[in-house]
Amino acid sequence: MLRYRYLFEQMVRRELRQKYRGSALGVLWYVINPLILMAAYGVMFGVLLKAVSIDDYLLFLLVGLTVWVFFASSLLTAATSLLEQGSVVGKMRFPRETVPAASVAVQLVTFGVLLAFVAPIAVAVRGTLDPALLLLPLVCACLFAFVLGLAMVVAILHAYFRDVAPILSALLLPWFFVTPILFRLQDLPGLAGHPWAETLLEWVNPVTPFVEAMRAILYSGSVPGAGVLIYVVAAAIVAPLAGRAIFRRLEGELAVVL
Amino acid sequence: MSAEAPVPGEIVLEHASRAFSVRGDQGRTLKDLVLRREGEGPPPVQALADVSLHVAPGETVGMVGRNGAGKTSTLRVLAGIVPLDSGVAACGGRVVSLLELGAGFGRDFTGRENIELNGALYGLDRHEIAERMDAIIAFSELGHFIDSPVKTYSSGMMVRLGFAIAAHLPADVLLIDEVLAVGDVSFQRKCLRRISERIAAGATLIFVSHDTGAIERVCERVVVLDGGRVAFDGTVAEGLLFYHRLMGAEQGGGESVRQPGSRALVVADLELQDAAGRSRVLFRTGDPLRVSLRVEARRPVAAARLALEVRDGAGNSLFRTEVSPELNDGVARLRFDVSRLGLLGGDYDLVVEAYEHGQPSPGADRVLSFSVAAEPGAEGVVDLRGTWSDAERAEVAR
Repeated sequence: MLRYRYLFEQMVRRELRQKYRGSALGVLWYVINPLILMAAYGVMFGVLLKAVSIDDYLLFLLVGLTVWVFFASSLLTAATSLLEQGSVVGKMRFPRETVPAASVAVQLVTFGVLLAFVAPIAVAVRGTLDPALLLLPLVCACLFAFVLGLAMVVAILHAYFRDVAPILSALLLPWFFVTPILFRLQDLPGLAGHPWAETLLEWVNPVTPFVEAMRAILYSGSVPGAGVLIYVVAAAIVAPLAGRAIFRRLEGELAVVL
Repeated sequence: MSAEAPVPGEIVLEHASRAFSVRGDQGRTLKDLVLRREGEGPPPVQALADVSLHVAPGETVGMVGRNGAGKTSTLRVLAGIVPLDSGVAACGGRVVSLLELGAGFGRDFTGRENIELNGALYGLDRHEIAERMDAIIAFSELGHFIDSPVKTYSSGMMVRLGFAIAAHLPADVLLIDEVLAVGDVSFQRKCLRRISERIAAGATLIFVSHDTGAIERVCERVVVLDGGRVAFDGTVAEGLLFYHRLMGAEQGGGESVRQPGSRALVVADLELQDAAGRSRVLFRTGDPLRVSLRVEARRPVAAARLALEVRDGAGNSLFRTEVSPELNDGVARLRFDVSRLGLLGGDYDLVVEAYEHGQPSPGADRVLSFSVAAEPGAEGVVDLRGTWSDAERAEVAR
């Protein structure tokens, strides 16, 4: 696997350059898209709708959206990645995991750029450089590992069952709304008196702890709760292991089904 | 089955079988999964049917056969791209496969960038690619085009680049599918020379090609595949002869020689089959063989008579047998089973005639040509192979 580190690097580079090759803004598009999305949500929910009263709502929103954009776009691009590389998969022997992993890595680059944009805003808004920021690399690494695990599963399943990507894109929108990105869970009036529903949204939805961890660090400038941290680290271990196991189990027929 | 791993350069296929489904839409959708429609559609195609092949390190094998015979499937199995349904496939050492021109090329990227990407796909690291870069570019003869995007290349230039990369990879086993055909003759020669050099350096080669001239130049052994089986495995001269004969013997269902309208009984669906019931026209001495056919009465007949005859290439009758089939509603389905085909290598005709008992036979109704692979150590028509021993010595020894 180590032998193919260079391949991985090559694929990420190719992917990054290929998609917007020839366009005037080039790789900038990887960042422009999510920025526009963030601006739209910020204006709509923070300025016009004012549905929630949260201090520095724009920052609150940006942090959550950064996590979500990485999660959603990684899964969506990974889902079809094997199919897009079908001709190579059918003709050459190389570790197939590099294909979805490269898709996620490309999104990681976007994520990094967005973070480099959001983090200074966070520091500027709060005016202090909190020690909690030291945890940022750890949480980001965990998020990457977690998404990588899911991406491998989604990619291999979609190669066999072409309904997986459409189902995924249909699921992502409602998923976005039940993830506390636009709001805080404790602010949901509909959840009052239903503690189990809050638990469900907080712990069964695996994206929530990542959003909360990032938000604790960047928005609140505080260390995430122990429960959230343990969850995040555990997800970062379990997801890639399970993802790889499922991938390995199913990859045999890849060259045939693609 | 040998359990030990093959040594570098060794290729082992043992009872390798692989079938592919031939559905129009290859991917399964949720609908198929829910409705369990697996059983529908055409039956799977057996690309490899019990193929056993052993190639020693440094051997050069040319693989020929008609389209769909299983050549590419064999290479894909050996390259580790497609798994087997059953059996063993193993290549020792580093395997380099050149299955398709420009597989893995990024069309928007330059030749140089594609060398890096392609090398990486073969498992090389940055350093290993860098030290080969100049040699690859020189071999490709692409000159300044090496810094132009690959999408501007002609197919001949793509071959040059693809082969130049593959030719400079460290390889114990080279698997090359029909890719050289696109290049110009001088570059083809250069490729063949390069292949020969690699072989001299100890690499094992499996070379799939329809270009028998190239196979003669590079290979010392020929494997003919037919219907997913090894139909012939031996020397180049014999193998190519067998292959040419195979290509000539393509006549499914038998050739009709009858005059229309004059017969009371006709033969239909004439087929030669192997032990598994598959239609074949190529056999080995000693193979089981089945003739399958249908007799149909065009008008009521008192009693039917069917004759089956095997003739050699010159038309001499070698064997003849007759039977009186019982017609059911004017139809009889018949089989004639030979447990052990006693013919030696050559081309033969199976001639079938059906006629009304007591009437003169109107002559051959259908003719089906088939071939038997040459066996070493025996010449002639009939297989009477026995064992030689020295009688004097046997007595002395006793």
